[in-house]
Amino acid sequence: MRQSNAYIIVFSIITTVILGGLLSVASVGLGPKQKVQVELDTKKSILGAVMNIQKSDDVLGIYDQRIESLVVDINGNQVETDASGTPVVAENVSIEKNYKLPPEERLYPVFLFKGESGEVEAYILPVYGNGLWDVIWGYVALDRDLNTIKGAVFDHKGETPGLGARIAEADIQSRFVGRKVYNSAGELVSVSMLKGEGNPAESLDDHHVDGLAGATITARGLNNMLLNYLEHYQNYLKKVSS
Amino acid sequence: MELISLGVRSIFIENMVFAYFLGMCSYLAVSKKVSTAVGLGLAVIFVLTITVPANWLIKEFILREGALSWMGAGFATVDLTFLQFIMFIAIIAAMVQLVEMVIEKLSPALYGSLGIFLPLIAVNCAILGSSLFMVQKDLNLIESTVYGFSSGIGWFLAIIALAAIREKLKYSNVPDGLKGLGITMLITGLMGLAFMSFIGISI
Amino acid sequence: MATETLEQPVIKKDRSEGLLSKRRRRFVTDPLNDDNPITVQVLGICSALAITLKMEPTLVMSIAVLFVVVFSNLIISLFRNLIPNRVRIIVQLAVIASLVTLVNEVLKAYYYDMYKVLSVYVGLIITNCIIMGRLEAFAMGNKAWDSILDGFGSGFGYAWIILAVAFFRELFGFGSLFGFEVFKAIGIENFPNNGLMVTPIGAFMILGIIIWIQRTRSGYVEQ
Repeated sequence: MRQSNAYIIVFSIITTVILGGLLSVASVGLGPKQKVQVELDTKKSILGAVMNIQKSDDVLGIYDQRIESLVVDINGNQVETDASGTPVVAENVSIEKNYKLPPEERLYPVFLFKGESGEVEAYILPVYGNGLWDVIWGYVALDRDLNTIKGAVFDHKGETPGLGARIAEADIQSRFVGRKVYNSAGELVSVSMLKGEGNPAESLDDHHVDGLAGATITARGLNNMLLNYLEHYQNYLKKVSS
Repeated sequence: MELISLGVRSIFIENMVFAYFLGMCSYLAVSKKVSTAVGLGLAVIFVLTITVPANWLIKEFILREGALSWMGAGFATVDLTFLQFIMFIAIIAAMVQLVEMVIEKLSPALYGSLGIFLPLIAVNCAILGSSLFMVQKDLNLIESTVYGFSSGIGWFLAIIALAAIREKLKYSNVPDGLKGLGITMLITGLMGLAFMSFIGISI
Repeated sequence: MATETLEQPVIKKDRSEGLLSKRRRRFVTDPLNDDNPITVQVLGICSALAITLKMEPTLVMSIAVLFVVVFSNLIISLFRNLIPNRVRIIVQLAVIASLVTLVNEVLKAYYYDMYKVLSVYVGLIITNCIIMGRLEAFAMGNKAWDSILDGFGSGFGYAWIILAVAFFRELFGFGSLFGFEVFKAIGIENFPNNGLMVTPIGAFMILGIIIWIQRTRSGYVEQ
């Protein structure tokens, strides 16, 4: 009886139902907590560009208080709804998906970091690009003068640990603090990593930071990423400064 | 071309064995003779080329959020990604069963020499791993097929190279504790080091 | 060998056998050395190498595998007389896949950092030969408590090997253990990080050496 076809079919159906039900319950039950985690992760990255986040910080609370977000297009105009009419939420804009579109069609989120009295202290811009193995991304925060970098955080999907993966480390990211993206003639030159590490101090000027030993391609990818996105945000930055 | 770049990357730089350590179990068990290695390698290439696009279809039209909208507007928000593992392994097991039946009909000799390794392909981490990486890399249907095919070739290359080396090793004086698994680990490590020289090739 | 297969005659056990009798203790201790799933049985190598870069993900992975192997052993053992023979493998796979999905969902909800680090390798626990191997070789023919013990044995056997590999890789590749900077703490400021340990090659080498040491000590020679 145990081996009869009818038994096999009934057994399979019961097993499928039980397992499927169990997993559905787990997924539905844990769903909200998982969404919170993703939200937390994104907001932690955004805030990380301007401040040092401690483990005990109330990331969501700080974010709600200090960050105002908006979405602009390539011309710097604010975008309220997307092509199908649904309102756009900056935090939900997928930089990754937008990267696949031509620059003119992309949505560009901007996160304004506000001070105590509500004035904007920093402009946080998401950036995205290609490292050596896979994609890299980050958030660059520009100070009130829209020129000096207040802070930057970078992350990667599959760069080599110890080499390209160092872009996610605090001491590499802190190299960008204080550098300027526009030169004295007002041209957008961005900030680039030099080739190799331990470059002489004279070469580490306003627009250059020390590079990564053994990770030239990742560094080059990072440089391109910064330059590209700063160029895309140029129209918006010009509008704000006028 | 993008596809060629993806293919070459998957074979040499992101090799299933040397970069991601997948498919090691059967790789170690079968790499003693080049002939069995070739047979298994070809079977793996075939299975991968079928399962990765098949799983893409499952992911695209059943699993991901909003995928079920072809069934009706009411299903537009259903997100079945938590069923991913079960569905993928089911498809893989089904495909392997199919391949097994086809090989048995077409070439009983090959079927005999592969023996138990054929059903073992179903639990070969490289097969499931390729499908999971396909999801992670967000490839489209054509890219998935190319990715499956080239991952298979990469695995095939690795297993043949190792089998050839192990055949030669039979005449060497390997210390007792290292015989078999130990020396294979060290060799694979050195081969991985060699494959790392492909880093930085941009095509 | 501590494994009992379906073909062996079922030995009538004395009802008063202790919960942790000598026979049962061996289920847990054998896989730690003589019958180690990775170094002797050559199973479960796949995931063993990729995530051993640092100790924290390795620990999370060990706990995940332990959970899956113990509970799948338990479930299959409890239902072993009900499962039809023809769909045996499929049912085993379904149970394993469900448990792994559970682990994945829980990680995504409560331990997001580790979820990101482990990514595909949590799913690959399904194809971890150790788990399927134990189900076929043990759980299908043994009672629940014995199967649980066997699960613990295999799980711990697997865990200590990958933790050992991760120990060396993180220590020499990053100079830290569990993120804690060991060398800086004992005063060596500029310990050079060994790049080889950070790459897959380091993992293979360390594992090869561990296997060498372990087999030399236990005298097992593979033919």
